[in-house]
Amino acid sequence: MMSLMKPDMQMDVSFYKVEEIRHLTDETFSLKLPRARFAFKAGQHISLGIVGGNQSREYSIYSGENDENLELLIKEVDNGYFTPRLRKLKAGSMVEVHGPFGKFGMEPELAANGKFVFIASGTGIAPFRSIVHTYPGIDYRIIHGVRYSKEAYDREEYAADRYTLCTSRDKGGNYNGRLTGYLKSCTFDPETHFDLCGNSNMIFDALEILKDKGFDRDQIHCEVYF
Amino acid sequence: MTTNDKKSVAFKTLGCRLNQYETDALVTDFSNAGYELVDYNASPDVVIINTCTVTNQSDTKSRSVISQSVRKAKNAVVVVTGCMANNFKAKLESQENITFVVENNRKSSILSLIDAHFSGEIVHPDQLPQDVFRYEPVHKSLHTRSAVKIQDGCDNFCTFCIIPMVRGMAASRPVADVLESVRKTVENGFKEIVITGVNIGRYEDGRVRFEELLAKILEVPGDFRVRISSLEPDGFGDDFVKLFAHPKLMPHLHLCLQSGSDKTLLRMRRMYDVAQFRKTVNKFRSAYPGFNFTTDIIVGFPGETDEEFQQTLDAIKEFNFSHIHTFKYSVRKGTRAERLENHLPEKIKSERSLKVRDLSVENMKRYFESFIGQTQNVLIERISEGTASGYGENYIPVHFKLPGAQKNMIIKVKLTGLVGEDEDMFFLGEIVGE
Ligand SMILES: Cc1cc2nc3c(=O)[nH]c(=O)nc-3n(C[C@H](O)[C@H](O)[C@H](O)COP(=O)(O)OP(=O)(O)OC[C@H]3O[C@@H](n4cnc5c(N)ncnc54)[C@H](O)[C@@H]3O)c2cc1C
Ligand code: SF4
Repeated sequence: MMSLMKPDMQMDVSFYKVEEIRHLTDETFSLKLPRARFAFKAGQHISLGIVGGNQSREYSIYSGENDENLELLIKEVDNGYFTPRLRKLKAGSMVEVHGPFGKFGMEPELAANGKFVFIASGTGIAPFRSIVHTYPGIDYRIIHGVRYSKEAYDREEYAADRYTLCTSRDKGGNYNGRLTGYLKSCTFDPETHFDLCGNSNMIFDALEILKDKGFDRDQIHCEVYF
Repeated sequence: MTTNDKKSVAFKTLGCRLNQYETDALVTDFSNAGYELVDYNASPDVVIINTCTVTNQSDTKSRSVISQSVRKAKNAVVVVTGCMANNFKAKLESQENITFVVENNRKSSILSLIDAHFSGEIVHPDQLPQDVFRYEPVHKSLHTRSAVKIQDGCDNFCTFCIIPMVRGMAASRPVADVLESVRKTVENGFKEIVITGVNIGRYEDGRVRFEELLAKILEVPGDFRVRISSLEPDGFGDDFVKLFAHPKLMPHLHLCLQSGSDKTLLRMRRMYDVAQFRKTVNKFRSAYPGFNFTTDIIVGFPGETDEEFQQTLDAIKEFNFSHIHTFKYSVRKGTRAERLENHLPEKIKSERSLKVRDLSVENMKRYFESFIGQTQNVLIERISEGTASGYGENYIPVHFKLPGAQKNMIIKVKLTGLVGEDEDMFFLGEIVGE
């Protein structure tokens, strides 16, 4: 009785040839895959495997819903298992994509009318670039926390007055110090929607700050990487 | 069946309510097809083992049941299915004494596989159709309560959980199909149905979400009551709370808290915090005092500090869960938590688990005591030496004398006393009227 299955129910597995690798810093790069018929909602993630390998990891989609490529933003982690292997991929290497997954993301009606603050640590900026690419007219601010200013991945794509870089290890940011230090000094419209993405310690601290400012937990959405 | 002699089949089920439901549906399939249902000690022709892999303990149990079955039922066709069949497929397939390994998404077609086998056809389980909702409504002779599956799979990827790997992405059964299954289950004589799935709060068929589906189920005509199996504590609003005013919907939820520490919840990738959980509990309890909450708690999650664990104990006291499934965290290969830092020693996990258990028993006693002198409508599930037993609306166990009692009757009972120790506590009651 296959008819009971909705077509979008099955676990999607697709194989792709890496089209291009963009080196953004010594450790961080983007993988560009052909988008082909892959459909997703900005903010969602996929699970990525290397063909012939036996492990996979989750990655937020870095490109917009209608961009030409399916792009991922990846940081090589010291002593990590998977990222050093990803790093060795070349244009033409084959990867395996499962998904898309997750409820973190943007609904079109909300994007048209809402006010957003996106708070990201490191590569946690990935889903927000996807959202900004998909909804260029969206009313947003990005607060991006990194260690060094060179980690402001593709910052030129965001309007200068919408993007705030917080650097904890050099003085190249708009704010020199941790993202959470900057967040404490901010004021936001009471109707703001907050989306937080990155490591769980940053998310925990940012949540506490936002709750102290009187925002309801239901206004805040989180995507935890580790 | 294509052979003339009546074949016999035995089932063994491990794990969750969803697995139990899927076995019940398979039992219905096999008995409708003329197979005799026997105990697995009685040399069955076919043994079907529906396994679980949610913790290390479930793996061990599943393995032991498989080897026992193989030993006891020497000449039987042995089918291993369920979550372990997904998680350890290649390993199980390499075991000579297992005839077929059938993954979850093909489980509903096991009867065709066995029929083909007995008629000499060679069919590989991978050729069976993939359909997680093909199950027939359960036949009434099996239990007094039947599950109805509305959903399968989950893509929340909580860091400790293997389920997304073994059950696949979230998928919802079409509304019309769910309602038809409820109707047939009620026609089959069930007085209580349990809405089941992996993550049922994520139900979504077009514009119909879980709350709307539940409202439709409650409107199905007939004399039956409805329970919800277990629910993740995110994403439902006031309309959901209001639904519990419906007389068919029972005042009990198994709402999985997992931890009382917001930090631990984030490391688990659980997308709610304790304050949101509190809001939900308070909404229910202010609308329906005495509403029963039970939960799952994981102790000893990687990095769980003493302070974080204390927050869990505080939450357990505050929310007054009447029962807690306590899990000592165990590594599931391939999950993100496997790669988290600061895994805790077994000794700490055991100590924490005992503390949670003690609190759970205290809570249960306090919660149960608050019902003494009240009445409950009890669905009779068992009768032994003139004593009937079953569960009241709030999912509390009650025993009472009733001459001529029959399974599946709903009887109004006044709760007069509480007996039994620890988690085996139950009420004694007297009949008020039918
Ligand atoms: C939903 C989701 C989306 C994700 N999206 C992205 C993404 O867009 N880009 C990305 O680079 N990673 C992302 N990650 C993390 C990614 O899945 C891997 O964990 C990461 O690439 C490291 O893999 P590894 O095998 O090399 O190291 P692992 O063995 O998996 O991790 C080793 C340790 O590295 C640290 N770590 C993990 N990820 C990062 C990171 N991104 N930056 C710094 N330290 C890290 C953690 O402390 C971790 O315990 C995401 C994770 C999740 C759950
Ligand atoms: S919600 Fe989390 S715990 Fe529940 S099945 Fe999904 S991944 Fe597992």
